[in-house]
Amino acid sequence: MEDKKEFTKKIFEGWVNQFSDELFSWAFFKTSSKELAEDLVQDTFLAAFHKIETFEGKSQPKTWLFSILNNKIIDYYRSSARTTKKNRSLSEVTGTKLYAEIFNKYGCWKSDEIKGFWEHDQELLDNPEFNTVLQECMNNLPQKWNLALTAKYLSPKKTENICQELEITASNYWQIVHRAKLLLKKCLDLNWA
Amino acid sequence: MILIFRLLFKTCKKTTALIDKQSFTPLTIFDKIQLRGHKTVCKTCKSYQSQSFLIDAVLGKWFAFESNQQPSTLDEKKKNKIIEQIKRL
Repeated sequence: MEDKKEFTKKIFEGWVNQFSDELFSWAFFKTSSKELAEDLVQDTFLAAFHKIETFEGKSQPKTWLFSILNNKIIDYYRSSARTTKKNRSLSEVTGTKLYAEIFNKYGCWKSDEIKGFWEHDQELLDNPEFNTVLQECMNNLPQKWNLALTAKYLSPKKTENICQELEITASNYWQIVHRAKLLLKKCLDLNWA
Repeated sequence: MILIFRLLFKTCKKTTALIDKQSFTPLTIFDKIQLRGHKTVCKTCKSYQSQSFLIDAVLGKWFAFESNQQPSTLDEKKKNKIIEQIKRL
């Protein structure tokens, strides 16, 4: 019995060396936090060790470990959704409504005022406070819009993945980005100056 | 005359859409002409274009920074820690 446990430990040592990088970079992509991703990978291996009996060798060890990791990631988001009081992002319906309110029924700007600060765009680019306000405005966007906009700046491969995950078609994609940007403009007009 | 006017001048709503569309797909010659024409008479749309570009520049900078920072390997220390923990089980 003890021999078997020792044997399993040896196998796990190999798995950590072999698979932890890939597990880690996936967890990092999903959570954007190095510390959190590290913890999730650690939890994954410990959980896997405790339920090694359920691993029947039908699937590849890597596939099995990834399925445990994905469950850990989902658990994490579930529990953090419970603890954060209220998600600050708007619903898509509200987002669409706000977008529609920017123009009147003739398609003209409801407010054609150009805030003076936009003239200094070179300074704004490196202004830390402006970056913070923009970040907050991004957080307010409907989650799907925020992700779609973010995808625009990632590698083409990642953009493709995100669009697939959000079930966005190419022609729909630029329109979502466009609406997101108009809301950002509006948000900056209100919150910066 | 009205028809020509309407063909040449799209609404601000449609013009802002063209402004953002051009970073995804090349515009048709017709769209380009109308966009240029619209911007010469409409300061708000002209300003929206630079606002849209500024947002691109800021976000582009953030994510260029983040992708450089993105680690793809787990720290050796952390790996050893996991192995140690398993050995103690």
